[in-house]
Amino acid sequence: MLGLFSTLGMAARSLQAEMTGVEVAGQNLSNVNTPGYSRQTVQITSSPEVDTPIGPEGTGADATSIQQAVDTILNGQIQSQNSTSGYWNAQQSSLQNAQNALGEFLSGSSTSSTTSASSASSTGTTGTGLSSQLNSFFTAFSALASSNSYANQQAAVTSAQSLATTFNNLSTSFGQVNTALNQSLTQNVSSANQLLTNIASLNQEISTAEFSSGNPNDLLDKREQDLENLSQLTNISTSAGTGGTVNVTIGGQTLVSGDTVSDTLQTYDPGNGNLLVQTATGGVNLTLTGGSMQGTIDARDGTLATLQSNVNSLASTLITQVNNVQNSGYNSTGGTGNTFFTGTNATTMGVNSTLTGNPSLIQISASPTAGDDTSLALQISQLATTAQSGLNNQTFNDSYDASVASLGDGLSDANNQVTDQTAVSNMLSTQRSSISGVSVDEEMTNLMTYQQAYQASAQLVSTLNTMLTDTIGMVSATGA
Amino acid sequence: MRVATNSYTSEMLDQYNSLLAQQDTLQSQASTGLAVQAPSDNPSAMETSLDDISQQAQQTQYSANISALQSRGDTIYSTLESLQTVVSTASGIATSVGNAITNGNSLGNYADQVNSLINQTISAANTKDPATGQYLFGGTAAGAAPYTTTTDANGDVTGVTYNGNSSVNQSAIGASQTLSVDIPGANTGGSGPRGLITDSQSGADLLNHLISLRNDLESGDTSTITGTDAANLQKDENNITYQVANNGVAQAQLTTAASAATSNAQNLGTMVTNASSANLVNTMVELNSAQTAYQAALESGSKIMQLSILNYLQ
Repeated sequence: MLGLFSTLGMAARSLQAEMTGVEVAGQNLSNVNTPGYSRQTVQITSSPEVDTPIGPEGTGADATSIQQAVDTILNGQIQSQNSTSGYWNAQQSSLQNAQNALGEFLSGSSTSSTTSASSASSTGTTGTGLSSQLNSFFTAFSALASSNSYANQQAAVTSAQSLATTFNNLSTSFGQVNTALNQSLTQNVSSANQLLTNIASLNQEISTAEFSSGNPNDLLDKREQDLENLSQLTNISTSAGTGGTVNVTIGGQTLVSGDTVSDTLQTYDPGNGNLLVQTATGGVNLTLTGGSMQGTIDARDGTLATLQSNVNSLASTLITQVNNVQNSGYNSTGGTGNTFFTGTNATTMGVNSTLTGNPSLIQISASPTAGDDTSLALQISQLATTAQSGLNNQTFNDSYDASVASLGDGLSDANNQVTDQTAVSNMLSTQRSSISGVSVDEEMTNLMTYQQAYQASAQLVSTLNTMLTDTIGMVSATGA
Repeated sequence: MRVATNSYTSEMLDQYNSLLAQQDTLQSQASTGLAVQAPSDNPSAMETSLDDISQQAQQTQYSANISALQSRGDTIYSTLESLQTVVSTASGIATSVGNAITNGNSLGNYADQVNSLINQTISAANTKDPATGQYLFGGTAAGAAPYTTTTDANGDVTGVTYNGNSSVNQSAIGASQTLSVDIPGANTGGSGPRGLITDSQSGADLLNHLISLRNDLESGDTSTITGTDAANLQKDENNITYQVANNGVAQAQLTTAASAATSNAQNLGTMVTNASSANLVNTMVELNSAQTAYQAALESGSKIMQLSILNYLQ
């Protein structure tokens, strides 16, 4: 038999256990909207039995621990998924910027479509892109070939200036996008280093807490949040260390080992201005495999670099071809010596200032004595439909259109991947939420459960109190 | 499955955002009529559209070139008609000298008429294109009028100088198709486009033949008039007839090319529209559907958000 006092002790422990339950429910309710919080549950177990003459007898219940509801395998999947999502989000963002820089959009209003084909036919480019400028340039020379008037000479030179300016602007815009991507990479590296420091610090706190007092649930949540944030930046692999710590490896280099940041990340310039990532102390160049850092690098060095290269090839081929024709000719007074395009690529391309100042000096005559000859203007206009060996045997427009489509393919792919990865992330998030998320309904129900159990235990104390009073009363009465 | 409280909110927000993005895309398609606006919307359609738009711009330029050539050709034709009249009149004079009894006075009157014809011819040969102000019959040589004259004390033309050349400019009127309606004033090279006034292939040399006729009329050399002069004028008449026919052929080519350029531009416009346009019926149906789904999501979301066990606890 336990006896009255032991039963009273049992009631007290029960009150304590139920009170802990109420506290944990309150903690869960407080963190219902806290990102990364994993709901906690109090573990209440039966106290050890005691042997009595009538057999083993229970001694009540104790709150033995507060556990997190966590699926570590799912957390690992989420980290991996974050890395993939981060990669494609960075690609999407980078290529979106490149598409905006390119400025090649369709515009128009087609309002009477009843089938897949609209009856309206006013669709065109917005006029700001390179495509329309190329068209204007070649048609201006076609008009000049048809009539060698001053107005047409001026139109040809003006269209060439617009074309050169568009090439210059494109080059500048691509450069700005490149710079922004480098800055983004540097920012990501800085964030990653901060997270590595946080994780090492949390490792230390967790190790200490586990040694002294059991489960440091909130610290584990914070570390998981940091690991997930880090995995968005780059693909990481983790391994369990001693004392509940987690080691973090990036690109084959262990950067967090227990409570120590063994190395950090830094950007470096491989020589072409396009930053890459290496370890700061070890100087090991890293090959990243995911996350926004690699997404940024791949977009910059892949699709964007190809686009830049194609636009430069387009500009240099155009400069060479037009100059080859124009520079061999004569102006209306038989003069020569004025090159048409200056510069060698999209960045430096321009129109000879002598010609912009006096368009009549344009050299479109094949003969010094035939001032009204426009045969070279016709040749220049016919370059529009001539396959260029420097452009993979494509015409200027075809080459450019293919580059635009290639960028579109890259961005479209990134958009689709982001949509898919978002769906996967949402699914994983929902799955984790079903395990670790706080339900107000559930916690309120738990609260009532613990509250009623607490009331019952309190009632037990009250009953025992009455019994003790009665017992003491009996003793007093007997003594009297 | 266990559902946490903030699962509702995060999932609802995701759904709202997704449905709003869907409506935004569809609304943009409905208002612009375009399903493809940016390269990423449909890279293949964008490439096709840009290519078609470029070709359309070329076709539009061909139309403009053709229109300019037609106008120029019309002016040239008018000049040819006036030259036909000149040659016909001169030939008539040469013939009538042979057919009628003439005296010194009547030959002198004929000579005056031929002087007038010479001036008309020079004026015609120096005709300018009203659209551009450029000389029509100077070939590709720029600057001075194609024909300058030498006159005697009476102001009669005694000689002409051709300041132009025998080349003509070609204009693009179609893919790999060029055409010129121009006629050089003279071509003594034996190849290339025939000269309008002087041409070695046909033996034409209208101004010099008219000057010879006038000189022979003034000198009363009727045998030369009816012989050599009449024969030379026949060559000039044949040459002008050839130029008229050539002009007609060019005009017919221009008419055909204009029709083709217009048709091609329209077809290319239709192709661009087909590649890039939104199907408005489908778009509107999808927009309605997305709006309905959005309303349903809002309605159900707000109801779920309102309810919890707290509503029932006293």
